[in-house]
Amino acid sequence: MGSNELRVIVVGGGLAGLAATVRIAEAGLPVDLFSLVPVKRSHSVCAQGGINACNEVARQQGYSEYEHFDETIYGGDFLQHQPPVYEMAHMAPKIIDLLDRMGVPFNRTAEGMRDLRLFGGSLYKRTHFAGATTGQQLMYALDEQTRRYRSEGKVTAYEFWEFLWPVIDVDGKCRGIVAQDLRTMQIRSFRADAVVIATGGCGLVFGQSTNSVMCTGGAASRCYQAGVKYANAEFIQVHPTAIPGADKLRLMSESARGEGGRVWVPAVKKDGKWAPHPDSGRDPRKLDEATERWYFLEEKYPAYGNIVPRDIATREIFSVCMAGFGVGGGNMVYLDLTHRSREFLETRLGGIIEIYRKFVGEDPAELPMKIFPGVHYSMGGLWTQYAPKGDLKGMVKGDPRNMMTNVEGLYAFGEVNYQYHGANRLGANALLSCIFDGLFCGEGVAGYVREMGADPASQASASMYDEVVRREESRIKSLLSSKGGENPYQIAKELGAEMTAASTVVKSGARLEKALAKLEELRGRHERMSLADTGSWANQNLNWARVVGDMLALADPILRGGLMREESRGSHYREDFTERNDERFLKTSVAEFDATTGRSRITHEDVEIGLVKPRVRNYGKVGSKSKTKKNEPATASA
Amino acid sequence: MSSKNDAKGKAANTRTVRFNIKRCDGPGQPSRWERFDVPVQSSSAGSGSANVISCLQWIAANPVTIEGRKTTPVSFDCGCLEEVCGACTMVINGQVRQSCSCLMDSCAPNDGDEVTLEPMSKFPVNRDLFVDRSRLFNDLERIRGWVPIDGTYDLGAGPRETPEQQQQRYKLSECMSCGCCLEACPQYTLEPDEKEWDHAFVGAAVISQTRYFNMHATGKELAKQRLDVMSGPGGVSDCGNAQNCVKVCPKEIPLTESIGSVGRQTTIHKIREFFMGR
Amino acid sequence: MAQNKSFLEKHHFLLRRLHSLAGVVPIGVFLLFHLTTNASIVWGAINKGKFEGVHPGAATFQHEVGFIHSLPALILIEIFGLWLPIAFHSVLGVYYATTGKNNVAHYKYQGNWRYTLQRISGYIGVLFIFYHVATLRWHWTFLVPGGTKWSGEWAASTLAAAIQGSESGFTAMGVVVALFYMLGVSLLVFHLANGLWTAAITWGLTISEQAQKRWGYVCAAAGVGLMALAWSAVIGFATLDYEEARLAEERVRHGEVTIVTESQRADAGERE
Repeated sequence: MGSNELRVIVVGGGLAGLAATVRIAEAGLPVDLFSLVPVKRSHSVCAQGGINACNEVARQQGYSEYEHFDETIYGGDFLQHQPPVYEMAHMAPKIIDLLDRMGVPFNRTAEGMRDLRLFGGSLYKRTHFAGATTGQQLMYALDEQTRRYRSEGKVTAYEFWEFLWPVIDVDGKCRGIVAQDLRTMQIRSFRADAVVIATGGCGLVFGQSTNSVMCTGGAASRCYQAGVKYANAEFIQVHPTAIPGADKLRLMSESARGEGGRVWVPAVKKDGKWAPHPDSGRDPRKLDEATERWYFLEEKYPAYGNIVPRDIATREIFSVCMAGFGVGGGNMVYLDLTHRSREFLETRLGGIIEIYRKFVGEDPAELPMKIFPGVHYSMGGLWTQYAPKGDLKGMVKGDPRNMMTNVEGLYAFGEVNYQYHGANRLGANALLSCIFDGLFCGEGVAGYVREMGADPASQASASMYDEVVRREESRIKSLLSSKGGENPYQIAKELGAEMTAASTVVKSGARLEKALAKLEELRGRHERMSLADTGSWANQNLNWARVVGDMLALADPILRGGLMREESRGSHYREDFTERNDERFLKTSVAEFDATTGRSRITHEDVEIGLVKPRVRNYGKVGSKSKTKKNEPATASA
Repeated sequence: MSSKNDAKGKAANTRTVRFNIKRCDGPGQPSRWERFDVPVQSSSAGSGSANVISCLQWIAANPVTIEGRKTTPVSFDCGCLEEVCGACTMVINGQVRQSCSCLMDSCAPNDGDEVTLEPMSKFPVNRDLFVDRSRLFNDLERIRGWVPIDGTYDLGAGPRETPEQQQQRYKLSECMSCGCCLEACPQYTLEPDEKEWDHAFVGAAVISQTRYFNMHATGKELAKQRLDVMSGPGGVSDCGNAQNCVKVCPKEIPLTESIGSVGRQTTIHKIREFFMGR
Repeated sequence: MAQNKSFLEKHHFLLRRLHSLAGVVPIGVFLLFHLTTNASIVWGAINKGKFEGVHPGAATFQHEVGFIHSLPALILIEIFGLWLPIAFHSVLGVYYATTGKNNVAHYKYQGNWRYTLQRISGYIGVLFIFYHVATLRWHWTFLVPGGTKWSGEWAASTLAAAIQGSESGFTAMGVVVALFYMLGVSLLVFHLANGLWTAAITWGLTISEQAQKRWGYVCAAAGVGLMALAWSAVIGFATLDYEEARLAEERVRHGEVTIVTESQRADAGERE
């Protein structure tokens, strides 16, 4: 390491991490990139549907960047700070152009233009896509650009390395990290003048989710335990359409609905009202379209129909199943694409059709898919700040504060950042926010590091780093020597089941309290584990045991934040407080870790709503009291 | 979203699958076989079929062999579990594939069925079923696997493209670097020594990526450098045309067409070089 | 060894393509002519009616051999047009083949079988060609059961005797030789047909799956045709009666029998 050389560490090699890496490397700073997996295998590859941005076609139909901004705010139930969202929506078309230049094979129209599709929460076609594996395609494009910098020596990748702890100096500045090689198990420190955490979501806290196995939230949790605030933890998106599996829930993209997929359950009309079908397990093709199929989303939301936002679709699907309408009496509804031609499905939805075929063994072109909601995305994440423009229309470009946590020099980008999505994320906005963070806020990181030039991490005292290394080593030693008999896999399983039962689609105060008590029990048991593998080479058992503790720490603000939030908003639905309460809760929940109890302390802070005033959010539901203020175009093109 | 299972119900729809797993404690260590009996739920209850991953997870939580001996959990690599990340590739019953999409319902449908798991043989083993595929990524670097853009600032849209070409590129771009084509290739060899990587056969995945980047209007800029690699030792001419690659590719990428295409590109590249100089 | 390696690496592409090319031209073309000539032991019989009492195949064959032996600087043609290309193709081919490791046990695809067979046919083909040339051309008669020395003057009869193990029909060792011939030519024909198919991919002539499939049919058809020639030649000589052939050869040499094609008939007419 050069004597006065400035460096940046990026933890996480998904879309946000790679976008940041590329931008920071381009700014001339060397980057050390840490990832649990070869970056090409990051969870971003699982994103399917697409990426939103205003485009010329939509613009000429009346859409604009402002509309995109407004939809995102409305979709998020007004819980997000508006300036960053404003900036993101306005940069979106440029991001698409850039990805296009990088060679992403976006689907094309006959004329060779980028094709567009409809997506949840919008009546305009504004979603760009590459088949049904858009995330994979964007990931690969950024992976390729990163590879270019790697080959030039500007980026050093540490793959199969696990982030363990941020190194924070006495002034509260982040000066590097401690990480572990997952093969040699070596623990060592790395110096850096800024650290970007881009480690994604925490689906594994819920046991089964649509997330990849590394999405434990471990890195976020460690930062939180090290003193970084964690915001809006209770907002967990449950995706309406997933297919159940023994190991995970597999996502069936919202694009299935955007491309015309219809959601229905077998039903019969009794006295003018739908009732569960007496033979709901029957061959769905034999059920009469008019009298035996209840297209409940289309009936309840005539304007948006099947493309209502995820929180709404999820709750509706959940409630019809609870009311006994589920296919075969179970927890499943139909997502029907059989009216689309096979060729159409192959070119526009190929990736997910294949997943369904491989994992369920049925052909969606022949039979409607059977789906049920599954935990998908964390709107909440590490608390970050931003530098708003004077008129609140966007952020100050290059400002070091953009997406910096409360620990100076420690940034959070992508899903691990709580910004942009409020109480519910709109489909195809995640890829956007990840890349936006990397590109727009990456510049702020470079700016921050340049300011640090007078006091580079390379000159900081070694003892500060050694101390964190020693602490991590002793933590591992105690895990390896513990003989309490508890099994980390069992603890994780129980945690997942409890979290899923208490804190997903429908929550209540009493249930959350019960879950917090269970969490207390699990924390105690985590102290008394015995590891089946005490070796010192590629010990996955040890890594898992450690991260289970971090998941337990993160589960606390998810539950407690939900308990404190006595309202219903976006993905957070309390059956004991069914209405939104702007007066008390148009606020960000901010969690701080209490090291003595292992619990979180929750406070609430105001949300910047200077651009769009909160309005009723019902997506034109039939029978709801007030119409939404904005006039929605009548032509919801199919 | 919760599953209730009383003891009686469990017995009725549970079968036992025997796993024979080739294990190895680390690079250079001898390998050994261990056997595990794993209870597998039948998927009738709408819970989805068990797969190799869920069985390995079960073993991790209950690491006891059929002889009743306690052992360590089996190390393996996995990520997305929906066959888009490529991590969980291994050799199952003698054939390479992703373990996430290997469903027990189809590969071990009956009580007492056996499943054999081995690590890929063309890559050095880190531990058990967990292998080191860095050579594959190194080869992507060698062929300059990227589009040489001018930077990430706003310079307008990329080149227009016909839907036909997009469909062709998209198919190639689905390659997740899983290594199935390399494992099944009789010409691709295990090269633990990094020094050999520059002249050992690169295999179908990398040849196909060469074609992918050479198809793009901007990507073409580096075509000559890529073809230099492709016409050199370990390049496309080392292909023996067994065409196993295309058979085992989980994404059904037309790898043999890529081999033909890159073959043609190298032919033209070399003839041009012969007559017109470099 | 190190130097050898660097030479191979330096000219990697050229050697690979020359190897591929040599298999088609001259070796493949030669094989076509060679098999056609040898199969004349059978197709010569088409003209049976034109000859009185001699074996028409043997006569035709003797005439063909006579023509070939009349070529100027035959030894140079043989060395540079045949032996060196074959040696080059064989040596490099064996080296290339050793860089792979067949796995048909696990991946039983048709293409993989052909890959494996291509290599096996290469190895056995080299041995067969060596035996064939050594015994008949270089007269290593100690390798010929019965010790027959093949002669261009008595082309059909000595060949029949060399394959059958004696001048008076099959011996036990003769059966072995005949079977070896059958195996050798079959494998070489397969090697050529399959080689033509892979060469088209290697050079980039066939790219799409459809094109590869179509060219595959063409190669298969060519293979079947060549195989027919090859088998007729071997079977023809294996069943040829020594004395009968002897008679035909004698009469061809004395100009008592002429051969059949129109041009040759015309040639013969002019000479008279």
